[in-house]
Amino acid sequence: MTYFLSFILFSIGIYCILTKRNILKIIIGIAILDYAINLFFILIAYRTNGRSPILEKGSTIKRIVDPLPHAVVLTSIVIGLAVTALLVAIAIRIYEKYGTFDINEIKELKG
Amino acid sequence: MKEHKVKNNNKTAGMSIIVKTITRLTIGLILLYGIYILLHGHLTPGGGFAGGVIITLSFIHIMLAFGKDVAFQKLNKSWSKIFESTGALLFLTIAVLGFLGGSFFTNFMDKGEPFEFLSAGTIILSNIAIFLKVGAGLFLLFIMLVFFKIGGKK
Repeated sequence: MTYFLSFILFSIGIYCILTKRNILKIIIGIAILDYAINLFFILIAYRTNGRSPILEKGSTIKRIVDPLPHAVVLTSIVIGLAVTALLVAIAIRIYEKYGTFDINEIKELKG
Repeated sequence: MKEHKVKNNNKTAGMSIIVKTITRLTIGLILLYGIYILLHGHLTPGGGFAGGVIITLSFIHIMLAFGKDVAFQKLNKSWSKIFESTGALLFLTIAVLGFLGGSFFTNFMDKGEPFEFLSAGTIILSNIAIFLKVGAGLFLLFIMLVFFKIGGKK
């Protein structure tokens, strides 16, 4: 049931990418899509009444959440940061060449 | 002393005097917190990536408050390129040195007592390598995006 939240967020990202005409709004949509997938992985990792998977001195392991998706999501966040930086750099280049962020007005990309 | 003189000369660069004073007070705390997160990555949450981001944010903080000249005195562009490459090479070296203990990424150093500071073998060194890579890379990313100019090549 709680997974439904991340699916809604994913749909918002897809909608933002497909319908918006501004390049910056498309980049924001891609970022929202990223975060929706990260949230989905974190929700998969949760166990009922689980605590964080960190050993401390004198503590015993009873119920912990799954630490593997956390490690995967950490890598995913780094990759998302790099992809966003690449997209922003490309957007700056497009703005300096065409003088607009509107993808309808960039005629030379067509055909 | 030298930096102090530069700060006085560039009174117009950067933000207002309130922001500069607050930055001068908080910048050391941010840097210390980042170093703590970095060095305790094997005991508490955090590690190389989070520590590198926090330490780089302190440098970006200097750049936003005082202007780019003061920030480039502390960390140059060419030096950050060297740090980034050093981080990647150091991480690869640690991974290849694992062949001393058997296979790739083997923890060949002394493990020590659990929950002590020097306890995890190569994890601390790997965290420092990741810190160099991520911190210098993020700083380069920031200055490339801020001072982006097309240098006459089309």
